[in-house]
Amino acid sequence: MSESPDVKVAPWTGPQRPYDIIKEGTIAFVVVAILTIGLALVFSSPDDPQVTVQQWSTKAPIDFAQTALAELNGTSGTAQYGAPYNTASSGQQLGPFTLAKWLGATIPVNTVRDFVVDPLTDQPATPALSSALTQWKGASATQRTAWVDAYTKASGKMTFTNGTVSVPTNAAGPVPVMINTLEQMARSGALDQALVTQSGFYTSNFTLPLLFLADGSYLGDLAQQRHLLGTQWGMMNETGNYPGQAWLWLYTFWYQVPPFSTSANADVQVWGIMMLLSLLLLLVPFIPGLRSIPRWTRVYRLIWRDHYRAQGA
Amino acid sequence: MAESLLAALVSLNGPGHYFHWHWIDISYANLTVIALMVVTFVAALFVPFPGRRHKKETK
Repeated sequence: MSESPDVKVAPWTGPQRPYDIIKEGTIAFVVVAILTIGLALVFSSPDDPQVTVQQWSTKAPIDFAQTALAELNGTSGTAQYGAPYNTASSGQQLGPFTLAKWLGATIPVNTVRDFVVDPLTDQPATPALSSALTQWKGASATQRTAWVDAYTKASGKMTFTNGTVSVPTNAAGPVPVMINTLEQMARSGALDQALVTQSGFYTSNFTLPLLFLADGSYLGDLAQQRHLLGTQWGMMNETGNYPGQAWLWLYTFWYQVPPFSTSANADVQVWGIMMLLSLLLLLVPFIPGLRSIPRWTRVYRLIWRDHYRAQGA
Repeated sequence: MAESLLAALVSLNGPGHYFHWHWIDISYANLTVIALMVVTFVAALFVPFPGRRHKKETK
């Protein structure tokens, strides 16, 4: 059996030249450093202001209140996401493999407790809030569900006037006071602090405010305006006119085409495809056909054209 | 004062500009970077190595 021409390669007998990798590395480093500092001086860096819960509740108070309600009645994106936040659904799965479920709820989030009850409990007590929280905490699960259902049913007529959220119902127990106080807390900026500091002394864990923001429409609308949604190739974009992560073009490409563009498991499916393609790239020297591409395209003859010209002469 | 010293000479923080074609949606900034990468690649193929004409290759 004859060996593949990609494997059986004649040893190089042409000319050789000295090569100083330290010198080349130093030149490359200096050029890149000058370019980096120069471009930073001229263009600076993206400076989009941070989106906060305070900003959200001030600019879109109804959206905030409706999202707080969704956290209470368990219909928010976080409440229904599954792993790693809860066990409400199987989460992302690749065919029959429920990968997210296997890993479990490693970052447990109880949307009622973490987004509503605990922040309200941390608030300086007012008679109305204390009474509402006492009523909520002392009620049975069935009673709480009945209150939240009554509020949800009337929430289509929710209004926001003079800093107060109103819903036309008398059957929602303490829920109107809780939602309204949470709205005021958010507008004062206290909710941003309460959600971050729940994690401990260091305030670098923004999981809760980010999840809360992502459950509403406000953050998504801002992302859409800035071309940052997954459906807008957002993974490779930066805010403003700055270049983004152009190298992620293939990763985000899959999200634009069926079946991934309509799949609920697109994240894990696209990850699976990229892992498969990465494996193919890693194994190029062992894959017949794929490893012959450099020989067929003959780009190497362009690079070493002097040698081949001399050889042909 | 400090703010004006730190400000960029050319601000790119305005609304982004995007190129749409069918389902392709890419920012002009990313297109520019990709074009520069292609130009660099082509230059690496065709621009001769520095000193190639003068250095004597050794066998």
